[in-house]
Formats: sequence, structure tokens, C-alpha cells
Amino acid sequence: MRLLEAAAKLRRREVSSAELTAAAFERIGRVNPATNAVQLVMAETARARAKTADQELARGEGRGPLHGIPVAVKDLFFTKGVRTTGGSKLFANCTPDYDAAVVESLAAAGAVLVAKTGMHELAYGITSSNPHFGAIRNPWDRDRIPGGSSGGSGAALAAGMVFAALGSDTGGSIRIPASYCGVVGLKPTYGRVSRYGTMPLGFSLDHMGPMARSVRDAAATLNVIAGFDPRDETSSRRPAEDCVPDCEPSIRGLRIGMPENFYFERLDPEVDAAVRGAFRTVESLGAEVVALRVPDVAAMNTVSRIILLGEASALMEAHLDKRDQFGADVLALLDQGRLLAATDYINAQRLRRVMQRDFHALWQRVDCLMTPTTPATAPLIGETATTIGGQSEDVRLAATRLVRAINVLGLPAVSIPCGSDRRGLPIGLQIIGQAFAEALILRVAQALLPAEVPVPRL
Amino acid sequence: MSKDWKKIAKASGLAIPDAQLERIAKPLEALEKEFRPLVQVLPPETEPAPSFRAHAEENA
Repeated sequence: MRLLEAAAKLRRREVSSAELTAAAFERIGRVNPATNAVQLVMAETARARAKTADQELARGEGRGPLHGIPVAVKDLFFTKGVRTTGGSKLFANCTPDYDAAVVESLAAAGAVLVAKTGMHELAYGITSSNPHFGAIRNPWDRDRIPGGSSGGSGAALAAGMVFAALGSDTGGSIRIPASYCGVVGLKPTYGRVSRYGTMPLGFSLDHMGPMARSVRDAAATLNVIAGFDPRDETSSRRPAEDCVPDCEPSIRGLRIGMPENFYFERLDPEVDAAVRGAFRTVESLGAEVVALRVPDVAAMNTVSRIILLGEASALMEAHLDKRDQFGADVLALLDQGRLLAATDYINAQRLRRVMQRDFHALWQRVDCLMTPTTPATAPLIGETATTIGGQSEDVRLAATRLVRAINVLGLPAVSIPCGSDRRGLPIGLQIIGQAFAEALILRVAQALLPAEVPVPRL
Repeated sequence: MSKDWKKIAKASGLAIPDAQLERIAKPLEALEKEFRPLVQVLPPETEPAPSFRAHAEENA
């Protein structure tokens, strides 16, 4: 059942929030041992919130579509009085005394926070094979990673535990698990959703966003968490708009860019075919497909890595004497960042300006771009290199290759499922828009994916 | 020209074990190789963009 269907049933009193919440706990109890998606269950507070929601709904005091709906958040969003680890041993006993802005927003909307989801350590990686809290497994194939760093949110949704979940995305960490787990994941424009009360990784690259099993559900969740927050200096004052698309939206006349360079190079053939098929679909729906060359995305990826290495290592500098507290992959990245020169970080930021300008010019020609989200489907747990298009590639660099540049630009991008490969693993399609064009890219996403995504048998 | 990461770490007073330095040298070298040519062609007047500028977008 979709979030918005559940919301309608709640309003009609056909189901209660207490029942939905109990069903979420039953599902978590049954399938979490197989996936390890949920790291912490908030049973007591959730039941109390569900009871309050039912009372309010009975009095006709509706707070919107998330009222009474069970949701989860990645374990880097601060939750007052509830442990928030960031997937790190360093913060294993960290109990914040305030809620993250997005957690406040969910509560104000009446959502029922049932769980905190697992993640890659410190959000610094894409496998979600966490050395401290265990590997998270992909519900479509438990021998495979769910992607990351928001792997727990992706897996929890794919396994049908909750109706929506929040993640963070510094170099693809919402869109990669959305792609590998076959769910919808949106990275909004930088500044659209407050970062207040979240554990940072890369200050200038971190974005918070929704994940769900349908486009409209993700959009409804975005509506709740978007908006100006004076506690986040980078928060945009631009009023948040309603981003929920119609059930069958028109995309007639939209100009949808099909990159001729970079994005379709070195793909798994099944991914290539699925995404090219989506172009035929949008064309059949009346959109104009515009083939065009995009600026140097490989260079943007390089710039992104320099910026993130510098920002993450600066952030964790005070903890780097406790080397045994880190997993090997994260420590290697943190050590790399310490060895970069300050001039490299500054020059990466100068290159970022050039790239933002270059990319901005694209929007004169198209309304959005469509690309694959990841060049292949989910790798096996423990796999460090993968062969795509006949070339061996580091699993982390392959997973982030088509997504991380967009964090440098701060632009919105959504990943939606776009078929599956011969093994039944989901394929992801990415739609990238210009700044604050969340409503437009969600409209295109809804046109391509009008239905709820399936949940695998577990 | 390759950088000597061990010397850089030592000169910076960073307590990074030699084995780790050997492990991370290869990805750092690869990153350097991609990054250095980009910097060479940066116009001198280009100022840093420390993040996406939402306010500038709003005023655009």
C-alpha cells in the first residue's frame, strides 16, 4: 500500500495509525533479521504518537498526508533522547538533546517515527557494510549490498517496513540505494531541506531528502521537510511549493535532455537498454527528447572527491587519533583527506564555480536530463571491484560515477526504478533538474512510474 | 612528478602508519593525475564557490 493510499484510509477511518504502526513493527520484526535495515526501533514513542494521531484524526484535526503514517529516518538525524550513531563506533553512545529539523517537521506533520535505519559508517561510503553494526542486505538479493550510505532506508522501504524514510546524499547516498533497492529517492536542491541537527560529512555537499515506494509518496514527504530554516545558514528563503504530481501528469512539450557523452559510456548493457527505453516512453507521452553534450562530468567527479576528502577529514580531525574506532575503508579516506594541500581544496572550489556556470547554460536547451543512476545493478557484499563494459572498476567509484557531480552543482535529482536485469535486480534511472525544479523532475518521474514499486518476497 | 606521501605526512606531523600510507598512495596518485590538469587551465579571476549559492539563484 502506498503512503497516500494509507493516508486516505486513515482519513476515512478505515484503518488506524495504531494498526499501521503495529503492522510496521510486525514487518520489521519478521524481515529485519534478514536485511539488518533497521538499527533501532522506537516502539514506545511510536505507539504513543500513533495513539495521539488517531485521537486527532477522530476529532477531524488532520495535519496532512503524513499524519499517522509510520516512517523511518537514517541514523544520522538527531532524535531527542534517542541514540544517534551516524553508523560510527565513535558515536555509539551519542544521545542528542534535540531533534533534527527534518525530524521536527515529520513530528509536526503527525508522522509516526518507528525506526532509525542503518547506514554506511559516517555516511562515508556506498556499501552500507558497516563494520560496527553489521552489513545491511539488499531485499532483492541478500548476498548483495543495498547501496549507501542510506542503505538502511533503501532496504527498509524495499522490504515494506515503512511507507517513507529519510536519507542524506553527499555523493549519491540517497540515489544509489534507491537504484539498487528499487525505490524512489530524491536529492533536493542544496538549501531546500534544512541540514540542522544532522551529522555532517561534507558541509557543502550534504543534502537531506525523502525515499519512498512511489513518486507521489516521496513528493508528499518532501513537502513536509522542505522550507526555510534560519538555523541552517545555507537554507533557502524561496517558498517551498507543492511538489506532489498528478497521478497521470502531462509531460507534453517538456524538453528532456539525453546526454551524448559520459552518462551512457561504460554501462551494463541491460541498464543502457532500460534507460534508453525510458526515453522512448517519454517521447510517446509527448515530451521532446533533446540529444546534447553535457559539460565535463568526469572533472566534476574529481572536484567532488577533492572537496569531500577535505571537508570530511577536517570534520573528523579531532577524532583521528582514535584509529581503532574507524572501519578500514573510512579511515583510508580520512587519511587521504589529511594529505591534501589547502590549495587543492581552494582550487576545487574555484573549479566548482566554473562547472556551475557551464552546467547552468544547459537549462536554456532542456528542462531536465535523464541518465542512468548507477552503471550496473547492486554488487555482491564484499566485492571491491566490478567489471562494467569490459573494464574493471572500483565498486565505490562505479556506484558514484553518475551521481556525485550533481552534489557539486547543488541541483535536484531523483532516482526511480526503471525495470530490472536478468537476475531480477532493480535498475535505476536518474532525472536531474535545474535548481528548485523538484516539482518538474517529480512530474517526469511520475509519468514514467505511475505505480507503486513491488516488494520482494522475504 | 609523484608526491612522497610519507614525507608529506611526516612533515605535517600526521601519525599515519607506513602501511596505510602505502595503501592510500595509489588512489591519491590517481586523483592527483586527474585533478592537476584541471587546475592548470583555471582562469586566474575565478573565485571559489564554497557551496551551491541558493541566494544567488533566488536573485537570478
